[in-house]
Amino acid sequence: MMIMNPGITSEVQHAVSSDEEWIADLHRPGAVGVAAQRRLHELLLRAARHQVARLRHQLPGIGAGELDDLAQEAANDALMSVLAKLDTFEGRSRFTTWVYKFGVLHAGVTVRRQAWRHREVHLPDTFTIVAQGATPAADAEAGELARELEKAIANDLTPHQRRITLALLIEHVPIDVLADRLGTSRNALYKTLHDARQRLRAALIRSGHLDATTSRSTR
Amino acid sequence: MNDAHPYAAAVEGLLRDTAPYLSCDECFDRIDQYVEARAADPDHHDLRMEVHLAGCGACAEEAATLLELLAEPS
Repeated sequence: MMIMNPGITSEVQHAVSSDEEWIADLHRPGAVGVAAQRRLHELLLRAARHQVARLRHQLPGIGAGELDDLAQEAANDALMSVLAKLDTFEGRSRFTTWVYKFGVLHAGVTVRRQAWRHREVHLPDTFTIVAQGATPAADAEAGELARELEKAIANDLTPHQRRITLALLIEHVPIDVLADRLGTSRNALYKTLHDARQRLRAALIRSGHLDATTSRSTR
Repeated sequence: MNDAHPYAAAVEGLLRDTAPYLSCDECFDRIDQYVEARAADPDHHDLRMEVHLAGCGACAEEAATLLELLAEPS
């Protein structure tokens, strides 16, 4: 039985009801549960195919059939994740949106792993920034900033922070690929990167090359 | 030592302010709610999510895909 909440609109009531039905059906034994899992897999496959299509430029030369195999593999992995976490769904979004994020996550990981499967991952200790300015004066200013930044990378980061930061931002190794190769997690690598960025910013603020009040740049 | 790199992108990436901190796991926990809010209202803001997505390419890619999925007819 659906319990109506007079405080929310009929459209939302419908969504709440649908989400409750999803959860209930997925917990049911027998044919109803199996059918619900099949519908769940279809949702995940839709999300995975969309993400694989978006990222296909990372897999040049791969055919449509292989791309769909990757989407199927990702949807299968995502199905296991969703079923394992079903009881953590709190209804803060629609159930379908909550499901999609698992399909998208697994598809991204699958594509990036495939794209890098034969590539070595380099963990550089140093790199050179070639400064570019629009005018000779801007060129000189950019050159000074570049030298300060190189100095901060060398002196203010730990060796681990330096290698992770340069691998992610300069070598453009995908964060989940790097986590796989180093036997760590995406979470741990992002924290390392965050700490390194904070140290670099602090060093350049101390040396007068970065304004402490510089607004952060968001998309 | 590796090759030289385009200046602006390198400097921007290295000096990006990613405070207030949000982990990738926390981002994943909140991303479904965030994209629904953005889909409903493009002016919706969530500072911690926006800062994280600007500093983490993988999470930003996922958010963009989810927004596209929400915009598609089901």
